[in-house]
Amino acid sequence: MPVRLWRTPLDSEKVKLPKAEIHIIKDQCKGCGFCIQFCPKKVLEESEEINVRGVHPPKIVDEDKCIICGFCTAVCPDFAIFVIEKPCKDGC
Amino acid sequence: MAEKKDLDPNEGGGEIRIGVYVCHCGLNIAGSVDCEEVARFAATLPHVVLAQDNRYTCSDQGQELIKKDIKEHNLNRVVVASCSPRLHEPTFRKTCEDAELNKYLFEMANIREQCSWVHLHDRKAATEKAKDLVKMAVAKVALLHPAEEIEVPITRKALVIGGGVAGIQAALDLADTGYTVYLVEKEPSIGGMMARIDKTFPTMDCSICILAPKMSDVGHHPNIELLANSQVADVKGYIGNFHVKVLKKPLYIKKDCSACGDCSKVCPVIAPNEFDAGLAIRHAIYTPFAQAVPSTYIIDMNICLNKDGVIVCDKCIKACERQAIDFEMKSETIEFDVGTIIVATGADVFDPSALPNYGYGKYLNVITSLEFERLINAGGPSGGHLIRPSDMQIPKQVAFVQCVGSRSDKNGRLYCSNVCCMNTIKDSLLIKEHWPETEIYVFYVDIRAYGKGFEDLYTRARKEGILFIRGLPAEIIEDRKTHNLWLIGENTLQKELYKINVDMAILSIGLEPRKDSEIIQRLLTLSRTQDGFFMEAHPKLRPVDAATGGIFFAGCAEAPKDIKDSVTQASAAAARAGILMAKGKVTVEAITPIFDAEKCKACGLCTKVCPYNAITLNKELKQIEVIEAACGGCGTCAAECPFGALTQNHFTDEQIIAQIDAVTEHDADKKIVAFCCNWCAYAGADFAGVSRMQYPPSVRIIRTMCSGRVAPKFVERAFARGAATVLVAGCHPGDCHYINANYQTQKRVERLWKKMEQQGLNKERLQLLWASAAEGERFASKIHEMQALVEKVTREEIENAKKVFEKGLGGS
Repeated sequence: MPVRLWRTPLDSEKVKLPKAEIHIIKDQCKGCGFCIQFCPKKVLEESEEINVRGVHPPKIVDEDKCIICGFCTAVCPDFAIFVIEKPCKDGC
Repeated sequence: MAEKKDLDPNEGGGEIRIGVYVCHCGLNIAGSVDCEEVARFAATLPHVVLAQDNRYTCSDQGQELIKKDIKEHNLNRVVVASCSPRLHEPTFRKTCEDAELNKYLFEMANIREQCSWVHLHDRKAATEKAKDLVKMAVAKVALLHPAEEIEVPITRKALVIGGGVAGIQAALDLADTGYTVYLVEKEPSIGGMMARIDKTFPTMDCSICILAPKMSDVGHHPNIELLANSQVADVKGYIGNFHVKVLKKPLYIKKDCSACGDCSKVCPVIAPNEFDAGLAIRHAIYTPFAQAVPSTYIIDMNICLNKDGVIVCDKCIKACERQAIDFEMKSETIEFDVGTIIVATGADVFDPSALPNYGYGKYLNVITSLEFERLINAGGPSGGHLIRPSDMQIPKQVAFVQCVGSRSDKNGRLYCSNVCCMNTIKDSLLIKEHWPETEIYVFYVDIRAYGKGFEDLYTRARKEGILFIRGLPAEIIEDRKTHNLWLIGENTLQKELYKINVDMAILSIGLEPRKDSEIIQRLLTLSRTQDGFFMEAHPKLRPVDAATGGIFFAGCAEAPKDIKDSVTQASAAAARAGILMAKGKVTVEAITPIFDAEKCKACGLCTKVCPYNAITLNKELKQIEVIEAACGGCGTCAAECPFGALTQNHFTDEQIIAQIDAVTEHDADKKIVAFCCNWCAYAGADFAGVSRMQYPPSVRIIRTMCSGRVAPKFVERAFARGAATVLVAGCHPGDCHYINANYQTQKRVERLWKKMEQQGLNKERLQLLWASAAEGERFASKIHEMQALVEKVTREEIENAKKVFEKGLGGS
């Protein structure tokens, strides 16, 4: 039924999606870029800095967008990235 | 003239013996036509062995007389000059059959609707015209052939397209009768619009509570195969024998799903829920609503992270205990045969953002009636609390604005959407029920409370203190701070301006034809009215039949209607489909093409103009094949064939030419030769008669089933024989009874105009008219207009046209 959906759903604030905490072990990264390329939410991008292996490790653009699918961890050949669920504060 | 070989005496039995009966119809005909003189004239015509006039030919006595004469005088052709064949042709055909005369050897001359009633005050001219009409009928009847109607078997299965309340009812009725039903629904669940509505009018029943048991019945019925999340991809065939292909889109969930919902809880992707009009969210893996049938979850692949077989996120897979999730699932095509099809595809709703003065889409507190239904519904996003979206507070003043997108030539649709008035009255009472202190205004044009129990509900609403103000607001303006709304307009009853402040405004949006109606229209070769809804075969007497055999309509697909009417129509459609399937066979009127293989050059022109795909070109045999059962009987193929390899049963070239020749034998230069299609123009001319609209008596109407049957050579012949003017009249483009055959009419007339221009003839002498069955006035004024032309046409012009077209006189 093609009804144009333009409103912010009334319950959008009530739906709690887990908040992510992304950990990047920069010096373990060899700069393959898989995590950046395959992230479905485009949370990561290449950073300016250079690590001990002489490559640009990824950096976080917007941690709120991460949905903790864990695909970055799965595709990283160097075990340089992992995501945990942010511990809940303020009784969320 | 027609060739003698067509008068095969064996077919009619011995020599041609015609009986002519001129009916007085009381004074309806005899009042303006000298029937005795017409009968005396008829007796002088070739092959006529008996001609008489009587008072009421259609009475039992009149019919008995015909039967007796057929036996005693060995009549083998019968002409009745009386009313329109659209009225009594079936009656007299049956009379002939009763006397063991093939019913296709009967012809009518319409001397009432198209003669006596339209020339009430000119007895002489009317009598002369009646003679001509009888002469035409006699000329045609002599050339008629006996015909047998073919029988086509009917597959005892039905397809119902659309699983709203209409489709559900139709499917259940047919399934309960014992037929196998395939119910195809494009959404993941059946239920349609009714599932989203909170309460129904006028009884205030809970909508889903009365619908859900029916939905569940559909899901469990042994005779119903429910194909949800599916679309009809292809339909081939004809009445009784349709071959259907349905594309079943993947759910990505196997049948093992117990609808526990564990998957949805862990899904990290959210989107607005269509079922709740976008007022609530859903996950990428979701069930459309709690009562959904089939009761299963589905994955929305447009937003799921797992695309193209790459499993990025496996949260749902891990959460599903029954391991029912399968990302590998593919679309499948299901094929089956059915005998009948019920179209219950429903309607869309009007998008009010097309009306910028109401601010929908800009002001949060302007909502649609559909959004209201979800807000007031206990299962909806606000748990049944009517809250205004800007601050989630319960509004104290509410305004309903009627006719949003309906009854307007500027914004939206011309027609009335039927349901909005009562829906608003119901909604206003619902608010009063929960929050009696609420001030409610209804801004309307007219309140249409026409159905059973509707007026009572309207009265109740007024008693409850709901204010009905006549005059729609010109504009809605939002107070930026409070998000309250100002409605400004004119109260047309009190002739004063109003400016009313409310917390929330509800736009009562109208119904529109489905945006994808064209797909179904094309697949099933249906017609649509100018509104865009599907067109029924007859608005009064066949309101659920499509013009295409074996197809029926139910619900809003045919026109906007409420739940009760949809259910009524659905049961009617099921009964109509059931009649066909119970009989198990259908006869096809013997007006199908006659094919002469020797003349056919396999050019394929006929296959292109056939609106029913009833002619196929066999390239190997270099021949066409006619599927008689699929043929609608328009005769467009016969008009198109350049080699004379096709003609139409009961409307052969010879028969039509004999009529033209009869008209043009005397005083052709004072006559209008008119070709009218049976369904619109001829019916329009009949309507002019019924309404006693007077027009000049110079017109002689030749009836064809479709204006598409009118071959250019017919027009050329009329001119070659000195006709002053020629009229070709058919249904309005888009309204053709034979889908689109009248587009061929237009092309042919345009070609003739071009030819006339090139030859230096006045192309105005050939006129094209689109007139519906209800446009008697239009037909009559065209004849007036053409009479002026007849008087202007000079001797020289007629002679010139004769010369240009005389080639057409040779062969027939």
